[in-house]
Amino acid sequence: MTIQAPVNFKAESPLPSSDIAGSAGTALHPAPLDREPGETAGRGEVLRVAGLAKSFRSGFLKRPIRGIEGVSFTVNRGAVFAILGHNGAGKTTTINCILDLVHPDAGEVSILGCNHRDCSSRARVGYLPERPYFFEHLTGRELLNFYYRLLSLPGKNMRARVDEVLALVGMEPFAGRRLRKFSKGMLQRIGLAQAVLGDPDLLILDEPMSGLDPIGRREVRDLLLDLKHQGKTIILSSHIVPDIEMIADTVGIMREGRLVRVEDLAGMTDGFSYTGHLAFDPGDWGGQDLPSWLPARHTRQQAGRVSVVVDNVDELRELLDNCHRHAVSVLAVDTRRSGLEDLFLAVNNDPDNHEGKTNR
Amino acid sequence: MNGNLATLALSTFMETVRDRIFYLVGIFGGIMLASTAILSPLTIGAQGKIMADVGLASMALFGLLVVVFVGSSMVRKELDKGTIVTILAKPVGRREYLLGKFLGLNLTLVSMLAVMGLMFLVMIFLTPGTFSFRFVGAFYLTFLELTLINAVVVFFSTCVSPVLAAMFTLGVFVVGHLSQSIRDFGVLEGGRAQQMVSEVVYYLIPNLEVFNLRGAVVHGEAVPGGHLLMATIYAVGWSAILLLVAGSIFARKELRGE
Repeated sequence: MTIQAPVNFKAESPLPSSDIAGSAGTALHPAPLDREPGETAGRGEVLRVAGLAKSFRSGFLKRPIRGIEGVSFTVNRGAVFAILGHNGAGKTTTINCILDLVHPDAGEVSILGCNHRDCSSRARVGYLPERPYFFEHLTGRELLNFYYRLLSLPGKNMRARVDEVLALVGMEPFAGRRLRKFSKGMLQRIGLAQAVLGDPDLLILDEPMSGLDPIGRREVRDLLLDLKHQGKTIILSSHIVPDIEMIADTVGIMREGRLVRVEDLAGMTDGFSYTGHLAFDPGDWGGQDLPSWLPARHTRQQAGRVSVVVDNVDELRELLDNCHRHAVSVLAVDTRRSGLEDLFLAVNNDPDNHEGKTNR
Repeated sequence: MNGNLATLALSTFMETVRDRIFYLVGIFGGIMLASTAILSPLTIGAQGKIMADVGLASMALFGLLVVVFVGSSMVRKELDKGTIVTILAKPVGRREYLLGKFLGLNLTLVSMLAVMGLMFLVMIFLTPGTFSFRFVGAFYLTFLELTLINAVVVFFSTCVSPVLAAMFTLGVFVVGHLSQSIRDFGVLEGGRAQQMVSEVVYYLIPNLEVFNLRGAVVHGEAVPGGHLLMATIYAVGWSAILLLVAGSIFARKELRGE
């Protein structure tokens, strides 16, 4: 498949068993990563995930439950890549595997060319977990000082950098307040502050707007847009479609632990996403059969109305021309670009995307 | 010291310092030491010895309580609350994290023993004819013992729940003080199987009586320098082994999604 840069995706077919690594803690054998013709390996590549799989054991008998399987994608510098999926789709597991918080059963993750198990690779990564929780006994400033030291950055710049980041997230007035007195929105903002503290090349944000009130969501969204405009590479997971539409360049939709579709959001206004509804009065035809210029496949007659649905602008234009030519009155026209939400629902309702199948 | 280790150790130390339980135990220790000063006049002719004995035992007991109850939950608490994920998402290794937590708790221990030791020396100083710097040797041995117990509790906290970690550590503390007796009993009284079991217990559990020279110190004997050196090597060796094993277990642990 071909996706316009900056994100490239290859839906993974099941890996040959020889490519699947053993249990966690052993060296991971990289799964083969297909590349687009002419794509230079690693050019501008910030994150590469290939054939990632993880299952968990649950219950008394420790039966394996699939977390994710065959997840592969690459994210290039400056891209905003969103992982969309309902709860339990595997978004957080994918992120946890990338950060080595859980050990994948199979697959390869490379952050700026380094294996993700090498902890130094995380020096250039900022991470905000879902429902962030920090040391409550610290103040906002003390917390950022703590994370700054963990990044091993020059101590003489600490105060200036912490001030800068506090200002960026609008937390300057609360820098001296203990975290136990922070609201959820404030915790989210201080969480974002620690994520951007080291001026990372890659930001990984797990549900950054979950649980926030509308004002908090807007503030965080604006902050993410700022970071996007600064050219940061961002991976965010969410199930809030409008937020993704507003921030992301590319979306990967997960279902049942698989990345089943990747879509370039800029290209979504064509083809798939357009719907027009027109209504006519059947009296205009004097009780006779419907005229042949109406697309029979998409026409329904009910409740004293004739409804026609078209799925592209050209078809709508042609239909309106015919109405004009045959002097037929149009009772109503309703057009809308069906966006990511419709795509998400379509992908989720597509039986090809259900258990055991991967679709593009 | 590695920068990350120092940061993690200081953070753990600050957390325990701001923990009310730590303060309560510290205050309680102070009260116990003070009560020794009040009770000792009742024991005619042996005031100094009683005071020193109760004081040293109290220091060991309160140090043990802090190490066991703070140590058993400090890693699990961060796992449960999720504070650990933002730390390990930074360039911090898991073994480094665990060692940082261990050192932080040891810093708490040192501070606590230092405060209690100072209070003890002041009270001893106020009792005529009792003051001696030989008590510092006893303080040091108590510190080594509790360092080893700290490593034991960190080891258990990576494998089992906080309650079990605390129980197992207290078990090691009790058996560790009896291990020489268990071995001797096995040799003198038991059959072949009992002898084997007592040998296994002796070598599997650290012998904590190595650090218990409190009785001798109270009765006027100084701790020999050679003993201090061997005890240091013994404590550091055991702690290093326990922390290495704990680090390996922790490195394999799934931090999310279990």
